[in-house]
Amino acid sequence: MASYKIWLLVIILIFCFLIIAPPWNLFEKGVVIQGISKNTSEFESGLRSGMILQSINGKAIDSVESYNKLVNSLNLEDSTKVSMETKSGTFIFYTNKELSLIVKEIPKTKIKTGLDLSGGARALIKAENKTLSDSEMSDLIAITSERSNGFGIKDITIKSVRDLGGESYMLIEVAGATPGDLEDLVENQGKFEGKIGNITVFSGGQDISHVERSGQQAGIEGCSAIQDGEVCRFRFPISLKEEAAKRQAEVTLNLGIDPENPQYLSQKLDLYLDDNLMDSLFISKDLKGQVATQIVISGSGSGLSRQEAVKEATKQMNKLQTILITGSLPFKLEIVKLDTISPVLGKEFTKNLLILGVLVFVIISAIIFIKYRKIKITSAVILTMFSEVAITLGIAALINWNLDAPSIAGIIAGMGTGVDDQIVLIDESVSNVQISLKEKIKRAFFVIFGAFFTVIAAMLPLFWAGAGMLKGFALTTILTITVGILITRPAFAEILRRIQE
Amino acid sequence: MKMKCGAGAFHTIYIHKKPQKIMETNKNWFDKNYKLLMLIPLALLIVALVYLGIFYSEKGDFMYKDVSLSGGTTITLNGEVEAISLEKTLSEKYPNDISFRKLNDIRTGEIVAIVIETSAAPEKIKADVEQALGYPLNSDNSSIEFTGSSLSDTFYKQLIIALLISFILMSIVIFILFRTFTPSIAVIFAAFADIVMPLALINYLGIKLSAAGIAAFLMLVGYSVDTDILLTSRVLKKPEGTVNQRIYGAFKTGITMSLTSLFAVLPAFFLVTGLPDSFRQIFLILALGLIADIINTWLMNTGIIKWYCEKKNIK
Repeated sequence: MASYKIWLLVIILIFCFLIIAPPWNLFEKGVVIQGISKNTSEFESGLRSGMILQSINGKAIDSVESYNKLVNSLNLEDSTKVSMETKSGTFIFYTNKELSLIVKEIPKTKIKTGLDLSGGARALIKAENKTLSDSEMSDLIAITSERSNGFGIKDITIKSVRDLGGESYMLIEVAGATPGDLEDLVENQGKFEGKIGNITVFSGGQDISHVERSGQQAGIEGCSAIQDGEVCRFRFPISLKEEAAKRQAEVTLNLGIDPENPQYLSQKLDLYLDDNLMDSLFISKDLKGQVATQIVISGSGSGLSRQEAVKEATKQMNKLQTILITGSLPFKLEIVKLDTISPVLGKEFTKNLLILGVLVFVIISAIIFIKYRKIKITSAVILTMFSEVAITLGIAALINWNLDAPSIAGIIAGMGTGVDDQIVLIDESVSNVQISLKEKIKRAFFVIFGAFFTVIAAMLPLFWAGAGMLKGFALTTILTITVGILITRPAFAEILRRIQE
Repeated sequence: MKMKCGAGAFHTIYIHKKPQKIMETNKNWFDKNYKLLMLIPLALLIVALVYLGIFYSEKGDFMYKDVSLSGGTTITLNGEVEAISLEKTLSEKYPNDISFRKLNDIRTGEIVAIVIETSAAPEKIKADVEQALGYPLNSDNSSIEFTGSSLSDTFYKQLIIALLISFILMSIVIFILFRTFTPSIAVIFAAFADIVMPLALINYLGIKLSAAGIAAFLMLVGYSVDTDILLTSRVLKKPEGTVNQRIYGAFKTGITMSLTSLFAVLPAFFLVTGLPDSFRQIFLILALGLIADIINTWLMNTGIIKWYCEKKNIK
């Protein structure tokens, strides 16, 4: 009956191996698109990062090198037809510019390493002398995300983190090579300008006094059916300062009517974020020469279904709202941490960590063998240690955890606790006390559970302290010992019982 | 000799041939001297506490903090660099505010990186390093880490609070486990000594602690008590044998545990030097904690438990 514990371990181990290194990945040919710039023909064609690129114009790609060769052989002087075949379909576009794709080899394992091992940049930003509310933080994150596209920074994650003291930070992480202008992106809210032709009508931070984000006046106005799906319209009002309204009146006074769309003026209002054009809005003919401090921004979003169209329209509305508030958030930003880690050193670290891992395994095995002089027991300890690490790595891969150096230290420390528990089990089981083996193992588990709960109690505060920068250490330690308690220790006790018998 | 009795698969009795003679001699000596033995860890603890007190009154803090806790910049230069001239030039520009360290390859011993630490702002030190080296720094040849002083202050305060919370939570777990005052306090006291002794030693050696280093102390809170739990549960919860026999049994198991852990964490500090500093420091602190724990568990906690058993007439 009790052998289910061993079977459970075996099944979970197999499962973890499949997660860590899916065998089907080994047969996959091609490269993964790691980054792609918006506003390019390849992006417009539907190519996105994460797709697996298998061939270009029918010629197969099997490595980054062959991709580079193929791309270099494209004649991009004139508008050239490029057909990219991916696992998700074929994308065709015409371009005469250098391709913006960044590709990498298909990873052989699903294990992700942290910045300190894979290289990249990390910035922690907070408001100067102020704790941001949740909505202010989400605005800041939305603005920064929007702006990061303009900076051409790919593979970026932006999120908020909170620490023990309740202070909130914006955490920005960029994988791989570090863009030189990361600092410009993170240290201010950005520059927003609304232009008609070449004239700046209003800019963020001074001319827009209010952007209605929600409520009765802001939201989806209505939807209607179109040829293939639905289209929904949104609207929201903004308030301009008097001077900006006057500037707008002066500029629009001289504009004619758009012959194609007679309800609008001949020029559009162009919205720029850090000098990148983000959107162009038609200006209603009623606004011509009017000093209007309240204006309504409207637009639309379409989709295959009503639901999709509403979602798209809301997304468009939020994006416009975000751009319009850029520069007007009532706080200044402060970079409190900025790390740019070279990928070169990370490789060296990873290599050394692997050597260390092997060394620790060998040393522990040697000590156990010297102490107990039994091959079977030593093998059982090695197997258990190995399983604990494999299962922890499997879970880390499953939850997409980035393993940084402290996380790996956590795994090694967790392994140490695991071995300690096994020593308790072995010593209890071979003790010369006249009680049943079951009782002995029960006693051992009192110590094991006691040690388990003290480590959990000791590591818990690390999840919040220091803006979560050492969360990895706490997480992997707790993961490793939990895997130990729930899966490998019961199986080890069972293996031990069989060896004893 | 192994004898199996009874029909059930779980009922196995082991009779060892080895007589318990050594135990008997140990017993007499140990019975007489265990209180004296307790003076060793106690003296070490007092020395450590006094040292920390003096350290605090002199430096205004309990430890030397590296840039992750005091604010500043770390620049790591990859590969072989003209280290001597670089050190000389920069030391002149940043008197008393710059440190250099080398990371070596595990097998060849070659320098894989040079780590420069200073409290200066990243733009300033970067420009000075570039000037001294004669080439610009980029992500291919270097890493730059900057921690602002406002963050490092909060970091430090919060990690200290975290350490306190961690200690309190651990104490609660210990009280729930044993539900008796003296044995629980003995375990908690050992954990306290396990933190204080390594900290005093690290300060004495002049090692600057990083955020990861303090995290290692949190780990130590949880990690170091397992041998104490083992000892206490073996002595108080097991009816077999005499108190001394149970202590000796626990000692045999516990010392194997501590030595195994110690040998597992030592290479991370001494052999594999080409690793991030945060990583190595975690293992140095764990190693020191484990050594302190051997002394505190087997001389101090054991003494208290034995004394407790004598008072309570536990045989």
